Amino acid sequence: MKKEEPRWVEVLRVALPLCLSYVPIGLACGILLNKAGFNAILTLLVSLLVFSGGAQFLIASMLVTNAPIHTIVLMLFFLELRYALLGSSLSQYLRGTSRKFLYIFAMHMNDENYAVNYLKFATDKEWKPSDALMVEHYSLLFWSVANLIGSFIGSLIEINLSIVDFALTAMFLYMIIMQVKNKLTILVSLLSAIVAIVAMCLLKSTMGLIIATLIASLVGFAVEDYLVKHGHERGFLLGKIKHHSKGRRVSVPKSDSEGE
Amino acid sequence: MGYSTMDHFLLVLFSMVAAFLPRLIPLRIFATRKIPNWFNEWMKYVPVSLFTALVVKDMFMNTSNYTFVGASNVAKIIAAIIVIGVAYKTRSMGLSVVVGLVAVMILSMFVAV
Repeated sequence: MKKEEPRWVEVLRVALPLCLSYVPIGLACGILLNKAGFNAILTLLVSLLVFSGGAQFLIASMLVTNAPIHTIVLMLFFLELRYALLGSSLSQYLRGTSRKFLYIFAMHMNDENYAVNYLKFATDKEWKPSDALMVEHYSLLFWSVANLIGSFIGSLIEINLSIVDFALTAMFLYMIIMQVKNKLTILVSLLSAIVAIVAMCLLKSTMGLIIATLIASLVGFAVEDYLVKHGHERGFLLGKIKHHSKGRRVSVPKSDSEGE
Repeated sequence: MGYSTMDHFLLVLFSMVAAFLPRLIPLRIFATRKIPNWFNEWMKYVPVSLFTALVVKDMFMNTSNYTFVGASNVAKIIAAIIVIGVAYKTRSMGLSVVVGLVAVMILSMFVAV
């Protein structure tokens, strides 16, 4: 560890892999938002204020399918509910900070900078809340600029929307894979798929997505609760699925990465 | 498209609130007390359920009239399998998204999207 380095350089070094991974996704998101009718200023604004890849892709793809605004906002709320979990697990490290700090920190937290910060808080005693906030701001900067550039690119080129829309699907597929910890998760996922299709066909609206989310997550919760109470914690459904690679990589392809 | 720039602006503001509350409330509440267990247990299954529903909507639904289209989006289905493989192997979001986009672009030249 070189101690002479200014703090902002040290923090930037920690945040950089994450920031760089935002560039391609941010560009894709900006292009998609442009195609959904957002101008550059709105794209920048949504990147700064909402700051969530999933949410912004969702806004774009729901606008393209002409979903009503209240449905979009409700979907978004459910999508962002996962931050409740992230927030509560970080809260222990943020005790003793001011209320204003907490507001800013919450505003700029998302999946990826959370992962970086959680890891640093858990492993590095020197890691302070102010460093964590700096990581958030670095990632916010890269994300917003990438979105803005994407918006300009989007206004210059013609793209088949259903193809760019697949960025959202690819991102969610990635997030599903990251969530799979046991066989019950896979079952919940299948249940959600079936309920979503049936509910959307019946209701002819995106409300079906919300119904599927609620039913599948509550069933998963109930089944796990039942299994744990009846002593099947290490059974077929709840046994952990092991993954071969340790730790998380942000954007480095397997072949290029050196011993971590 | 039926929305004006003003509608879009309002959507951004509502979205900000919808995105901000779930991030802030637990940070505020659980900074001083314990997280209830049922909440944690339930939250474990919300993301995977929602993500699956959204993936299914893009891949198997026609959203103009909400009908089930089965396996007719061949390009997306093949690309999705590739994305799952890449995500599992590399655990990298950037790579998964970029590979998925490139795959669906190439595949769409040969089969239905």
